[in-house]
Amino acid sequence: MWQLDSSTLITVVTIIASSIGIVLGAIVPAVMEGIAVQKALDGITRQPEAANDLRTTLLISMALLESTAIYVLLVILVLLFANPLLDRFF
Amino acid sequence: MDAVIPKTVFYIFSLPISDTLVSTWVMMAIIIIIAFLIRKFKPTAGEMIVEMINDIIGSVMPEDINLTKFLPFLGTLAIFLFFGNIFSVVPRMVSPTANLSTTAALAILVFLAVHFYGISEKGLWGYIKDFANPIFMLPMEIVGQLSRTLSLAVRLFGNILSTDLIAAIVFSLIPFLVPLPLIALGLLTGILQAYIFVVLASLYIGSAVEIEEMEQERRLLRKEASESI
Repeated sequence: MWQLDSSTLITVVTIIASSIGIVLGAIVPAVMEGIAVQKALDGITRQPEAANDLRTTLLISMALLESTAIYVLLVILVLLFANPLLDRFF
Repeated sequence: MDAVIPKTVFYIFSLPISDTLVSTWVMMAIIIIIAFLIRKFKPTAGEMIVEMINDIIGSVMPEDINLTKFLPFLGTLAIFLFFGNIFSVVPRMVSPTANLSTTAALAILVFLAVHFYGISEKGLWGYIKDFANPIFMLPMEIVGQLSRTLSLAVRLFGNILSTDLIAAIVFSLIPFLVPLPLIALGLLTGILQAYIFVVLASLYIGSAVEIEEMEQERRLLRKEASESI
């Protein structure tokens, strides 16, 4: 086993954790948004005159769902580009 | 590092001026020039824009509310965000909303406007009484107010920053023609996010000024009772 100093170890762990985090943070909101779109399209095909109401509601709820993925992205950007742990151990 | 934290261009009396602030000033100048041109040469186009914003706000506000009171604030927000989100297509400029300080300022403005309009519509005591109708919901309501302000700021910032960042990364790999679809995606996302920000702001303001139906009925009954006596 190699002897890593603490900053290298933190960098490696950060990169691995960020990769896992962005994968999970991309998959779960994407699947859930897919379910939301599917339900909305079901509604539109069943009742085409309700399309305008459904579109507004769908856009708002999609934005609210999307924000969880954006939070994950932000946390990972902070971890990668402005890591607070690296300053602490130097 | 320079992607997340904006670059400091110069200092005014040891006050750091970032590049997003400079592009905000340029954008404000462009918006003012366009507004003057529209007023001078084509006033009907300006009317059309205001009508469009009015329709967007009216689609989420409660039915029996006079929209002209909220139109100046929400319309300004809409125009600023529409230009600000797509401003990175201008050469040597960055989007003003790709800075967390800008979006946090806008979200705090919305937070203050919600309470301002709520108080001015119902009166101070009426607003406080309606704020948390069963009193044990008060902590929930306070957490909800704070968290939605945070999410307004972070959502806009993250969306604009991420699309700009993706375009920049692809540009550094293949500079010729390949980033164009990604920039087009960034335009689409920017306009959609401006729409969503304005719709959410008007939703929050609408829920603050809305008089609960039960409350309204009770007021009507009280009025009828006092008139019949």
